[in-house]
Amino acid sequence: MFSVKCSLCKKDGAVYLPYMKKVLCEGHFVNFFEKRVFRTVREFKMIRKGERIAVGYSGGKDSTVLLHILSKLRKTHPFELFAITVDVGIPGYSDRLVEVAREECKKLGVEHRVVYFKKELGFTTADIYKSGRSPCSYCGVFRRRLLNVAAREEKADKLAIAHTLDDVAQTVLMNIMRNEPLRLVRLVEPVVDEEAFVPRIKPLLRTPEKEVVQYALIKNLPFQTKGCPGMRVAFRHEIRKMLNALEEKHPGTKLKILNSFLSMERLMRKGLEGEELRIGKCKICKEPSSTEVCMFCKRKEEISSSRVITGC
Amino acid sequence: MLIAKIIMKFKGKITELLKKIGANREEVVVKVNGKVVPEICELEGDEEVEIIRVVADV
Repeated sequence: MFSVKCSLCKKDGAVYLPYMKKVLCEGHFVNFFEKRVFRTVREFKMIRKGERIAVGYSGGKDSTVLLHILSKLRKTHPFELFAITVDVGIPGYSDRLVEVAREECKKLGVEHRVVYFKKELGFTTADIYKSGRSPCSYCGVFRRRLLNVAAREEKADKLAIAHTLDDVAQTVLMNIMRNEPLRLVRLVEPVVDEEAFVPRIKPLLRTPEKEVVQYALIKNLPFQTKGCPGMRVAFRHEIRKMLNALEEKHPGTKLKILNSFLSMERLMRKGLEGEELRIGKCKICKEPSSTEVCMFCKRKEEISSSRVITGC
Repeated sequence: MLIAKIIMKFKGKITELLKKIGANREEVVVKVNGKVVPEICELEGDEEVEIIRVVADV
């Protein structure tokens, strides 16, 4: 192979960054990648010294990388770190994820808690799938709730979520296309007085998904490589395809979307009334919600009334 | 997330190979002889090339 050299040293290049027009060797890429996450944590004041940080850890590539990076960061910037894994109950898939998560936490010396759909909800994502519903919109809502509750029970100050630049850029566009400005404004920093809501942080906010995989492969991190068998997220998938096509043609597009959103978000916050942004409580479960009845209760009711799951 | 590996032999630029198989550069990571490489490299034809999808297809 005719190799390409690193832009910073004479070693063989490993990663090409089209938005910077630079090639980096493994060492320089790892350094660049980690520094960007650390800078993001500082930029948004995500973690303060001594805080207890929960990581939503699925065992997939993004959360595995996040756990490793935060584990590294705590060596120089002391804070408590623990991981929460939600077992959504997909046979042959969730069990492997939990297994990987357990092994990694043990290796890193990170406290680990597993929360089970079956135990907490009485049904699994496999049951939702069997009922003929599109499982992703249900599974996501339930996972977010269980993560928040587990983080709160564990007295976490923050809940770190492994959303990458790709996830955020997709969500920004989806919220614009669905005309949901309030959800858009709450994307980075929800306005919540409620102690029941553990604030979320997204340290991979500025990190492209592709680079997460490159980092994981270079560092030889173990992660679940099998895609979720129940995945049915048509709209997000269309947006992802469109964004990746744009990024390939116009490198830096995703980052520009994020930066534009961050600038607009500050202005939108100023323009909106505090009450519009504030998150209240669900009248059924009393958990934080932006609507009278939260999505968790609505979805749970839909599933509970399903014949397949109840076996009626 | 899905990692599907395609192992193949090819002579020419990796970017051309990706075009040929209809893969978007943003959605794959390329490994040559087990090492992650920049897609702007050129292959001689005797390497083991792995094209790894970084996103799930639905």
